[in-house]
Amino acid sequence: MQNKRISKAICAALISAAFAAPAHAGEAELMQKIEKLAAELEAIKAELAATRKKTEVVEQKQDAISTAVAATTAANSAAISATNAKVDDAIAASDNARKVAAAVTSQTTLSSYGEINYTRPRDNSSQAQTDVARAVIAITHRFDDKTKMVSEFEWEHAVTSQSDQGESEVEQLYVEHELRPGLSAKAGLFLIPMGLLNTSHEPTAYYGVYRNFVETAIIPSTWREAGFALSGSLDNGFSWDAGLTTGFNLSKWDAASDEGRESPLGAIHQEGQLAKSRDLSFHLAANYRGIPGLLVGGAVFSGKAGQGTPDFLADQARVTIWDLHARYNPGKLDLSALYTRGTISNTGALNVTFAGLPNPVPSLFAGWYVQGAYKVWNDSTYSLTPFIRYEQYNTAKAYAAMPQGLAVPATPDEKVTTVGASFRIGEGVVLKADYQKFQQDSSRDRYNLGVGYSF
Amino acid sequence: MISMHKLAPLSLVLLASASGSALATQYLTAEQAQQTIFPEANSFKPLPLQLNAEQMKQVEKLSGLPARSVAWRTVAAYKDDKLLGYVVLDDVVGKFELISYAVGLQADATVRQIEILAYRESHGFEIRNANWRKQFVGKTASAGMVVGDGIANISGATLSCTHVTDGVRRIAAVAQVALKK
Repeated sequence: MQNKRISKAICAALISAAFAAPAHAGEAELMQKIEKLAAELEAIKAELAATRKKTEVVEQKQDAISTAVAATTAANSAAISATNAKVDDAIAASDNARKVAAAVTSQTTLSSYGEINYTRPRDNSSQAQTDVARAVIAITHRFDDKTKMVSEFEWEHAVTSQSDQGESEVEQLYVEHELRPGLSAKAGLFLIPMGLLNTSHEPTAYYGVYRNFVETAIIPSTWREAGFALSGSLDNGFSWDAGLTTGFNLSKWDAASDEGRESPLGAIHQEGQLAKSRDLSFHLAANYRGIPGLLVGGAVFSGKAGQGTPDFLADQARVTIWDLHARYNPGKLDLSALYTRGTISNTGALNVTFAGLPNPVPSLFAGWYVQGAYKVWNDSTYSLTPFIRYEQYNTAKAYAAMPQGLAVPATPDEKVTTVGASFRIGEGVVLKADYQKFQQDSSRDRYNLGVGYSF
Repeated sequence: MISMHKLAPLSLVLLASASGSALATQYLTAEQAQQTIFPEANSFKPLPLQLNAEQMKQVEKLSGLPARSVAWRTVAAYKDDKLLGYVVLDDVVGKFELISYAVGLQADATVRQIEILAYRESHGFEIRNANWRKQFVGKTASAGMVVGDGIANISGATLSCTHVTDGVRRIAAVAQVALKK
């Protein structure tokens, strides 16, 4: 491979040198040139032979590639500099340089992330389970310098079929076009820029085997909608997003199921699946990263959720959710805090029809967490970061007023403490272990182990 | 992937000849970056830099990273006859895409200034932020130029941060080994 590459580069160099010779050059001058080229050719041959030898070593010893190639190159550096600096670069193509080169020429990038988790409830080992929670393949294609497509395809829980519990889904599928530096537009199915986790949800990006409850139960991560959005960034560290997208479909609400209790918005999200689109939603997000290590920001998303469903009693219902978040990661310390609050308006008449069922539509749901992590140890490959997170959330903090006798009491806040650690191997692999303590329902207390990767 | 590898030599030739500066999302040209880093300079001279095997080893030792390249795109900045320092141009991959940047170095190989020439990732453009870049000023390869130890992370852009920081540290090591007066 390397030899081919070098010989191509050499040919290119020779051909360009030959064509560069002025047509009116005298014979002596031409002879001189030919002699020079011959000398250069000899030098290249010698260097090729050495490189060929080295290539064999490289093939056997992939991990030593950059050092080995560098040594070869250095050994031949006199010959190389006499010929062409461009050949130099070709020979110096270590892993990294190849990656750089690939980024210049490649138009399509494949990436992936995944997580496999083991959970064992503290008091009920018969419920212990292991799950290939997520397997994701992502393809990014760049059409030109300003236009690209981003996609993410996901399997959850390993097997998807009518008789299995897995899901397969298109998690992102959008095109993005840069209008000018610092301003881009996108269209398609994309992640709503709310909170800390939703747009940065790879297992290597968050602490804990499982994603935090606030950003799954209240903010329904991984939350995506189809539509248009503009994103801007300023030199002072301020960035913003604004978009018009599909929203929620409240007519899907099933008051008999626990789904709405687990995550009110997770129960009525549409995920780009034949999404009802009479009522569109807007979102705005602003973030500031102007001080190194600091991120502060917030977002709001709002839209009607009746979707014009015939005879639906909550056609005027509006879903609104907002959040404020901060993260401070100046060095080994990594602190995060987030507060989020969501409402669904005009649900009284609908909830009357749900009388007697356990889970009517809540009018208010909210949560917050604080999290601290500290990298206690690392060397060039490994690092160990213990963390602690305290979260408090409530998926049914209040209901719309109901006639006497029909009201369902609001649920108390669930309070969860998670203590654990991330052991990282390089940039892309993480092993996680943690313990979660549930204050309301201690039967949920559990130990978790996980492995995740992302590239 | 196969086609990428086949195209590698071509791309390197292109890279070398275009100085990696023909991207549309370019914030600065190499020339503009030189002027920004050394506003007092009245001449810039290309200084083709070739490392030998021993120097490569030293660079790896100093930076804790593979030396990656033998040849470095380097320009020396002068005010009249006085050497002010150097500008080294380089590219690293952020998450998927190329980040082109310039490292300005004093004659004593401490970092003078970082400029981002081109950035194409969807996230992490905050590395262009002046406060983030300021963290490198006055440092050498041996201390304080690691994300999490002297250089603060940017939330949501860890890979871009890390790769640019590693790139700057490697160049500071190259400067210390091969340029320091």
